[in-house]
Amino acid sequence: MTKKTKLIKKTSKTFLLTGLFLALLSSIALYVYTKTLLESEVEEVLYSTEVRIVDALEKNHTLYSLPPVMEVKKVERLGKEILKDTIIYDPSEDEMELFRELSTYKVINGTNYQITIRNMVVESEDFLLAIVISNIAIFVLAFIFLFYFNTTRNLKLWSPFFKNLEQMKRFSLTSKVPIELIDSDVLEFSELKNEISLLTNKVRTDYESLKQFTEDVSHEMQTPLAIIQAKIDNIINEHEISDKQFEQITSIQKDIQRLKQLNKRITTLTKIDNSQFVNIENINLTDLINEKIESFKELQFVNLVHTSKKELSVSMDGYLADILINNLISNAIKHSKKEEDITIKTKDNFLIISNFGEKALVHPENLFLRFYRESNGYQSTGLGLAIVKKICDLYGFKISYQFEIDHHVFSIDFSK
Amino acid sequence: MKYLIAEDELDLQQSIVTYLQRDGNICEVASDFGEALEKAAIYDYDIIILDINLISGSGLDVLKTIKKEKKRSGVIIISANNSLTDKLEGLDLGADDYITKPFHLAELNSRINAVLRRGKYGGDEIMEFNEIRIDTKSRTAYIDGKAMPLTRKEYDLLVFFISNKGRVLSKEIIAEHLWGDDSDLLDNFDFIYVHINNLRKKLTAEGAKYIKTAYGSGYKFIED
Repeated sequence: MTKKTKLIKKTSKTFLLTGLFLALLSSIALYVYTKTLLESEVEEVLYSTEVRIVDALEKNHTLYSLPPVMEVKKVERLGKEILKDTIIYDPSEDEMELFRELSTYKVINGTNYQITIRNMVVESEDFLLAIVISNIAIFVLAFIFLFYFNTTRNLKLWSPFFKNLEQMKRFSLTSKVPIELIDSDVLEFSELKNEISLLTNKVRTDYESLKQFTEDVSHEMQTPLAIIQAKIDNIINEHEISDKQFEQITSIQKDIQRLKQLNKRITTLTKIDNSQFVNIENINLTDLINEKIESFKELQFVNLVHTSKKELSVSMDGYLADILINNLISNAIKHSKKEEDITIKTKDNFLIISNFGEKALVHPENLFLRFYRESNGYQSTGLGLAIVKKICDLYGFKISYQFEIDHHVFSIDFSK
Repeated sequence: MKYLIAEDELDLQQSIVTYLQRDGNICEVASDFGEALEKAAIYDYDIIILDINLISGSGLDVLKTIKKEKKRSGVIIISANNSLTDKLEGLDLGADDYITKPFHLAELNSRINAVLRRGKYGGDEIMEFNEIRIDTKSRTAYIDGKAMPLTRKEYDLLVFFISNKGRVLSKEIIAEHLWGDDSDLLDNFDFIYVHINNLRKKLTAEGAKYIKTAYGSGYKFIED
């Protein structure tokens, strides 16, 4: 994934880069253009002076050299015309100055002359620099102004978009209230808003009906299950049946029991989704855990060890607290051997349950998903840990799983 | 005893009737809201088994009528909804017990017996079977007036057996009755043997040989 930049930052950046590029380009163009212009002006002066000197020589005027500006020499042979820059010491200014020099050879009235004309290049660099600087200054000023103008304008223009984006971030499937979006006079934003409204409403109603469906299904299943159960109870009492038939019937009863559990858990999940657990009370988890351990011990699970230095109290629904502890312990029982200890630790805001395991889970990230089972060894509903996660999410508790030194470790951080 | 079973699922209604009639009880049925309301208001029953979701009406309204008419019938609500609010509403309106579908008929029968005991003995809550006498309030069982030392589970088991005397109770039913949802943690019910055997030993020691094995892994509480 590439690094994400904010829209306004990005447009501003584009704006600034374009500005910089334009300023640079125009400055270069201006520089080249002015320089050429200045040079051609100087050359023009040189050539016109040359013409005037030649003219004067032709009319037999005596010309005195006037170095370094003008030198007229009689020479033996003619040379090539040279136009070049030269640096000559200017005693008046006591510095080296740049001159443009034109040196030509002319035959005037039978005599060969070398005419050298120089023109001090008027501090053209300074001019150029001044021009470029003022150009850049104009650009910078214009850009600062335009930048602020543009940014504020953009922010205003995009504000419905940003506000709606915030709303969408806050959108929750489980929320009963529909998402509130702002309309805009920009056609695209208005369209976007309408599409989002449509989409979120659709998603919400779909979710609602799906939830309702699950609830209805599990609810409707209770009655036929009750009928099956009642009929089975009567069969074993009314009829002469064989041991084998009895065995089969009790096996059916086990399946009914599983379906009962499944129904109950789906209903619990749906109820948590529907926020039907609103009673918040102060639950002493330490006591609850001890009670649970006692009742599990009656079921011959004597390998539960509760080590805690401090009492742990949590504000939550009592029924959910019971489910939370029960599911965590049941899970540990299901996945450990009776000879291995299941350790439950409570300390300030923390609950840690660990049980022996031969190897780490292959997909620990799926552990809290509904109907996820790592193995088929135990016929569980696959909902116990999903409910645990749901309860933790409801109250903002943080649950985590780790495999540490041959142990599966579940820990819940109750601090918010 | 005279029962009214207000349940619109006829199969379930008939199964309950069959189970209850075995003890020689009289069972009347109501298959919809109107019938349930009418029968509950006119006649007197010892126990009314009331489904909350009746066709064309709520069992809770029938319950309100029963209470308004000051009927002395015990009411046990049966519902597909196991939500706590429904349970509390039902109990607040004066129902004596609440049981969630699906349930074992033995469990329903056990609850009916508990309601009957409370109604009949006005709080003494005594249960008797030949020489066995159980004070359900103090949770003590006596044989020939001699208190029996029973563990909590053995006591629950004995009450469950006597409530469903003459009927077959499989280990699954017993496990569910004693441990509820947690019983699904057990991959086998061998340890129930332990509880049943301990109870059987204690009873047999006093000459009460009532627990019989039925079929492969069911039990029956019957006289010789």
